[in-house]
Amino acid sequence: MPIELTDIARLAQILEKSGVDTIEIEEPGQSLKLVVDTGPRMAASPTLAAPAADHSVIAKADVAGHFLAAHPWRDKPFVAQGQRIEAGAVVGLVKIGLLYAPIVAPAAGTVDAVIAEPGATVGYGTPIVRIRPLAGSSPIN
Amino acid sequence: MIEILSVTGPASVQDLGRFDQYRFGVGTSGAMDDVALRAGNILLGNDENSAGIEIPMLPFKLRFGRDMAFALTGADVEAEIAGRVIPPWWRSHARTGDILTVKAMPRGARSYLTFGGGIDVPMVLGSRSTQFRSEFGGWHGRPLQAGDILPCTASTATIGELGVEPAEITLVRPNATPDETVVRVVIAGEYDGFAATTQALFWSSSWKITPQSNRYGYRLQGPAVKPEVPIEKRSHGIVPGVIQIPPNGQPIIQMRDAQTSGGYPKIATVIRADLWRVGQARLGGKLRFEQTAYTDALAAEAEMSAYLDRLRTNVRLVEETRTCRSS
Repeated sequence: MPIELTDIARLAQILEKSGVDTIEIEEPGQSLKLVVDTGPRMAASPTLAAPAADHSVIAKADVAGHFLAAHPWRDKPFVAQGQRIEAGAVVGLVKIGLLYAPIVAPAAGTVDAVIAEPGATVGYGTPIVRIRPLAGSSPIN
Repeated sequence: MIEILSVTGPASVQDLGRFDQYRFGVGTSGAMDDVALRAGNILLGNDENSAGIEIPMLPFKLRFGRDMAFALTGADVEAEIAGRVIPPWWRSHARTGDILTVKAMPRGARSYLTFGGGIDVPMVLGSRSTQFRSEFGGWHGRPLQAGDILPCTASTATIGELGVEPAEITLVRPNATPDETVVRVVIAGEYDGFAATTQALFWSSSWKITPQSNRYGYRLQGPAVKPEVPIEKRSHGIVPGVIQIPPNGQPIIQMRDAQTSGGYPKIATVIRADLWRVGQARLGGKLRFEQTAYTDALAAEAEMSAYLDRLRTNVRLVEETRTCRSS
């Protein structure tokens, strides 16, 4: 179903009210990016993860905001290099307004590297964590 | 439905409170940290007055009797659902049979567990809160016990995992330290009955929260603060937040399960915007009082409301986006 102009107007209103400055929606055949002009800001860069030759999988942000490697109440980051994780595990957060949106591991495996810098502005599709999948496990998305 | 598997201390069913019966001497009860209860309900798309479980001591364990969304807010706790770690101020989804374990509380004093649709206990005198003093409301008017099976209102919404910024971070107070909570108070009726030096002592002291502190009230320990001449008043109406000075000069802050009247002289009252901070102050921790003007108390309340407003619009944004994506 196409995104209607009324949907866009409503989303824009919600963005403005929430103090959130960017939203991106992607689905087959269409994509929408709304940016509220709130003065100087970094552009959210929808970097698509380069398909890695070594079969690693990438946990990506699916919303624009600031990357948090650890919850502000915790010293310890969600994941560290070498750590074993399950598919669906939270590997970090994207802070968007007052929301903390989870960044989820698409497959079980070992954390190869945390690619994003804590505090960095991330966008839809920004690679956050590289994971070396367990042999025989298949990504959930 | 949910089944309580293990519980430590007086965990209880609480909503925002019972506000229409005060004139008959029925106290408010309700969540000691109402901001956290609201935040949990906002995360779940519930009515903000939906009943949840207030958990003051750990460990705590329960089993979900069906698929259900839930949220954990309030004190920072180490919690797991079906073996997965749950970050603070977080909503998640449980499947039938999943076990939620809350193990440790590194920060704060009360954790709030809310459920999609809310706990469906009967409304008594306009509220689902447990009234400990008179033993009604909530779950049979008593703290929860292992084996209790609580009914929940059915909610068909399936929602993804999501967290929100804890109130303590957004509404951070200057000068607060991990073991000292600074709360703003306005002076109360008998303040002028204390000598200037005694008043100064009240403001400058760091008050220890004694183990005799609970939902009824917090008994504080510090230098004796006594009026110039003993003040004896007839019992009169008091509200949660009132700080009384009994004859021993050790302040008592009345909390959610306080009596509705009392006769001790009142030196000050905690403003409503900071009452939840007292509810999250730990036994053995310290409290310091900061004098605030009435207009500043209202401004603080507006700031708290603005935080909750932002939570509502931010969470709604996520749901609207989801609707747009799936339509």
